[in-house]
Amino acid sequence: MKLTKKLLQIDPEATQQKITRFIKDYVNKTKAKGIVLGISGGVDSATTAALATKAIGENKVLGLYMPEKETYNKTDHKHVTLLAKKFKFQLKTIDLTQTLSSLYKNIPNYNPKDKLSRGNLKARTRMLIWYYYANHQNRIVAGSSDKSETMIGYYTKWGDAAADIVPIMDLYKTQVRQLALHLDIPPSIAKRPSTPALWSSQIAEEEIGLKYEILDLILYGLEHLMSSQTIAKQLQLPTKTIATIKTRWLQTEHKRQMPLTTKLEYRTINTDFRLARTTELK
Amino acid sequence: MKEKFKIALAQFPCKIGNKKYNIDKMAKHIKQVKKQKANIIIFPEMSLTGYTTRDLTYELAEEIPGLSTEKIEKIAKKEKLYIIYGMPEHSEKGKAILYNTAVLIGPEGYIGKYRKMHLPTHSVFEEKRYFRLGYKTPIFETNIGKLGIIICYDIFFPETTRALRLQGAKFIICISASPAVRKEFFETLTVARAIENTCFLAYVNLVGIENGLQFWGGSRLIGPNGHIVTQSKYDEEDISFGNIDYEDLKPVEAFVPTLRDLRPELYASLQEFSKKL
Repeated sequence: MKLTKKLLQIDPEATQQKITRFIKDYVNKTKAKGIVLGISGGVDSATTAALATKAIGENKVLGLYMPEKETYNKTDHKHVTLLAKKFKFQLKTIDLTQTLSSLYKNIPNYNPKDKLSRGNLKARTRMLIWYYYANHQNRIVAGSSDKSETMIGYYTKWGDAAADIVPIMDLYKTQVRQLALHLDIPPSIAKRPSTPALWSSQIAEEEIGLKYEILDLILYGLEHLMSSQTIAKQLQLPTKTIATIKTRWLQTEHKRQMPLTTKLEYRTINTDFRLARTTELK
Repeated sequence: MKEKFKIALAQFPCKIGNKKYNIDKMAKHIKQVKKQKANIIIFPEMSLTGYTTRDLTYELAEEIPGLSTEKIEKIAKKEKLYIIYGMPEHSEKGKAILYNTAVLIGPEGYIGKYRKMHLPTHSVFEEKRYFRLGYKTPIFETNIGKLGIIICYDIFFPETTRALRLQGAKFIICISASPAVRKEFFETLTVARAIENTCFLAYVNLVGIENGLQFWGGSRLIGPNGHIVTQSKYDEEDISFGNIDYEDLKPVEAFVPTLRDLRPELYASLQEFSKKL
């Protein structure tokens, strides 16, 4: 297999159909009244929101935009407003500045210099509010994680990846961008550099150290059982770069699975207790 | 025996674990196809229970014949047609000895069963975790000819279909639960199996979404020349009808005489070769 951009090309219409069918089916089976999701102004949440509106109708989709002082920027705000107008979903803006500052004040031994823990606190606070609306209004939470970030664990455990369904999680970032353009999401959003918005001026590609076009090909190769050496040779990259990505992938598996226990009894949750998600036993 | 008859391919989304719902759904479809004068109706693999029953399979499996086959028998006797569907079976010798089984019931009652021989346990499939392999390729004598049945992944192994054809089955039925990423494989293999065996081949696939897997439907009847006689919709509940006329076999058998030209003596080493894989 030759690792080229062509491998990452999707049939956007067929992909859209599959994902919207999946969303609609899950909402129906769970008898939920709608979907709630976080809207950041980035391509992943924009695509997920657009798909959700197409699947179940715009009046059943609630988007939550939750800015806070440290990471606020006008472009996000503009994009979020534009998306809500274009795809006609309900939008609520909840400023988290006070909530977060209260949390910082009330956590014993809180260390403001620990950027990562502080950033993760923001992602997890957003998640709390999604689930408030999910409970209160009988909605399911749609996550917006893509395959690139999920594979390398570039997200907050039980934060932005906490959801009932994650419609675009089997698409690499470059594939999400293709789908976004197909959904008529403006290029200024579809092609915008991604950020997890945990601190100001945070840019995903800078932190990962690779452009998504390259990262996705590396991950595609790993997914298809290619060796690190072959991937490195084909992409003309140092083997060490591939090894670093592979390590990130393998070492973050704990984020992608439910909590681990030790086997003590006959059938153990998440180990050999295997059930379908939507059983209608009769 | 009828040389000409009408078949109905019925794909529907099952409710996982809800046999009552699934049987009611089958009954509704049976009634509908009877009005169209179909002689046989075919439902997908595991259509009694849904495909992704996982650990519930232990609870849902039944002996065959048994409770559910009796319910289907009543319908078949009343409507006077043949019915094929799939279900999890447990052996009479042990309730945790399970098979992925296809059942054939006719106007005269229960006729027989086929236990899946090739159990996919790779990618999203975990069949060997639950099921024991089938060991027999039975053919069933009916008044619409000798029928052979295979299940889904069996179609990747041409020897299975061949064994049925060599025993005289001119109409082979493949019931399936194939998720969307494998559509191209099945669309190729259904045609290939019909051509290489000069037989009619009906393929009936599940539709709906179970556990994130999207079953693509697209059930079809292939003629012995590889032409698609009828094709159901993709991704939606649907019934399609097709006519089989065994007279159509003769010109194809003369045009591409694969059975006449079969050289079994050349394949005797297959068993030896496969041991050394």
